[in-house]
Amino acid sequence: MAIIELADVHKIYTLGKTEVHAVKGVSFEIASGEFASIIGPSGSGKSTILNLIGCIDQPNSGVVRINGTATSGMSDRQLTTLRHQTLGFIFQSFNLIPVLNVYENIEFPLLLGKTSVPKGEVRDWISYLIEQVGLHDHIHHRPNELSGGQRQRVAIARALVTRPAIVLADEPTANLDSKTGQSILELMKKMNAELNTTFIFSTHDSSIVGLTDHVIRLLDGTIVEEVYQKADRDTEAMS
Amino acid sequence: MIGVILKISARNVWRQKKRSFLLAGAIAFGMFVITAINGLTGGVVDNIRVNFSHALGGHVFISGSEYLDRGTIVYRIADDEKLLTALQQNGESIAAVTRRSQAMPSLIFGSRQAMQLVYGVDFQQEDKLLGSLVVTGGSLKDVTNEQLIILPRSVAERLGVEAGETILMRLDTVTGQRNVGEFVVVALIEDQERYGISAAYVNRGYLNTLVGLGLEDYQALNLFLTDMEQADALGQSFRAALGVPEPKRLAEVQDMDDEEAMAAMFGFTRASEVEPWEGIKYQVTTINQIMEPVEAAVNALKTIGLAIFIILLVITMVGITNTFRMIMIERTKEIGTMRAFGMQRGVVRNVFLMEALLLSAGGALAGLIAYGLAAFILGRISWDTVPAMQFFLDQGRITFTASFREITFNTSLILAMGLLAAYFPAKAAAKLSPVKAMSSNL
Ligand SMILES: Nc1ncnc2c1ncn2[C@@H]1O[C@H](COP(=O)(O)OP(=O)(O)OP(=O)(O)O)[C@@H](O)[C@H]1O
Ligand SMILES: [Mg+2]
Repeated sequence: MAIIELADVHKIYTLGKTEVHAVKGVSFEIASGEFASIIGPSGSGKSTILNLIGCIDQPNSGVVRINGTATSGMSDRQLTTLRHQTLGFIFQSFNLIPVLNVYENIEFPLLLGKTSVPKGEVRDWISYLIEQVGLHDHIHHRPNELSGGQRQRVAIARALVTRPAIVLADEPTANLDSKTGQSILELMKKMNAELNTTFIFSTHDSSIVGLTDHVIRLLDGTIVEEVYQKADRDTEAMS
Repeated sequence: MIGVILKISARNVWRQKKRSFLLAGAIAFGMFVITAINGLTGGVVDNIRVNFSHALGGHVFISGSEYLDRGTIVYRIADDEKLLTALQQNGESIAAVTRRSQAMPSLIFGSRQAMQLVYGVDFQQEDKLLGSLVVTGGSLKDVTNEQLIILPRSVAERLGVEAGETILMRLDTVTGQRNVGEFVVVALIEDQERYGISAAYVNRGYLNTLVGLGLEDYQALNLFLTDMEQADALGQSFRAALGVPEPKRLAEVQDMDDEEAMAAMFGFTRASEVEPWEGIKYQVTTINQIMEPVEAAVNALKTIGLAIFIILLVITMVGITNTFRMIMIERTKEIGTMRAFGMQRGVVRNVFLMEALLLSAGGALAGLIAYGLAAFILGRISWDTVPAMQFFLDQGRITFTASFREITFNTSLILAMGLLAAYFPAKAAAKLSPVKAMSSNL
């Protein structure tokens, strides 16, 4: 079943008198557990589409379904709860909370909802994630004491901490050098395989599509190409 | 959720230390000023009350007058059944009783003379009085001389007399005869005229013989209470026992002329309204009644203090509002991120409000601590050498008494205004869209 479904989605931004038609009738589906990418040049509408999937923006027309539920007509409170329960975010510029250390940043989304999980279990889960993203030596560091790559690793752990069904990553590698960017994508891929979380990330770098199961190519707000491929699942390549 | 809010807001306050210190500092300053004004005036009122009661010889004052057949009024209490019963009934609340006579004689030294209020007191029972007098000449060590007189300095200067010299006192007896007595000046004391008292003190027994009263007669019976707070209650009890109408308060006599007002407040007999009466007519006055004008003046001062405080707070509020607007812009991305991860609008708002609350509470606390320190340090300085100030002081030291009620009120005001100042920026922050978090510019 499709965990994400977009049907004839339009998004128009109005800037004073001018209108920008950022997304022009986009339809696609993403299946649960996919490692999908949205590729396109600057201004093609990648961020806009991710925002629509992420329930932080609403389309002008068309339907966005998450887990089979249409998001249109939901209140801000409902959308916020939906985001908290089913979505995780990774941002281009990391967006860690500066006043919290690595552990606290990862823990933070958990604190926003009611948890019935025992404290010890939570701690084990966060420790597991920290281990997975390779930051066990930096648990008590503040974001400004970390490199870009390390920050993005924290962000990945944070995006996964609520065990969301979907993680959205808008150009997660754009602020990193290509080697670090590569390792971040590999980490995402590893977590996708490990936890079976659906990942969707955007990029304008066509060279990294080899890692993904499903490629959506955008140009000027429309899909110009959609490819399903057997992704290179060679986990040995990630170190 | 409150835990998350506290954690984030506390760290946010800490993260911009300089800014937080400035805002909290401004609040602390306001709190310090208002508490210092309250504490100082409160202390001064307390001290004036104590010093007054010492100078006047009590907390509750009972005087009595008799109407003689010839139409003259004599101020005199010969032992009276009703008064003694009332004294006995209230025995538990009374720490000490002093009896006084008084007269308004001419004092004469050489060719000069001056009218002067004179209290006849029992020096053996008036340690509090002796302790409260500020001696500027002579000494109060030996008060056994039957014919001694303690003179206010200003009167001594007018007469040109010094300690150790002898003066004459000329007065009318209660029955209208002239009489003259001789007194030795043992001490000169600081004038307290400014506060309504400028009295000379002599022995009651000797004064009584001069004015034609019995040796044991007295004109005023003054009570020191075990608890000064009881003054009003005891005054009421004595009025009830002695058949004296309840006096009017200062606020109730605003429209009356002076004579009428004094009559209503203190039960003075109006010259135009004298009607014969039987037995002793009593008058009961409490220290609180005497303090009313002082308290009215102090309250005016406190009101000015409160106005300054509120102006300071409003200025600070504008600062807080502007700062929080700035903070909101600075943290747009951060707020967007938190919203994306599922932080509800109300929580975003509460983080802001909590920051304002922490700043305000911290400022208020710092202001109180500063006040405490200032009160402690100033309270240790002795002003013994400045006689004019003694009436405001407690044994030469400034005392501070800010009431718990005042401090609570001011703190609540600070917290409320802090919240109000942050409210609109907080609401604006809560409205920020999580889309902002996605925008790639840092
Ligand atoms: N908030 C907005 N207001 C007005 N126009 C917008 C807004 N956000 C995006 N746009 C416009 O919509 C179009 C698509 O923008 P979008 O950010 O989705 O592109 P993108 O593919 O993410 O580009 P980039 O690679 O530069 O991030 C662009 O023309 C952009 O200028
Ligand atoms: Mg973009």
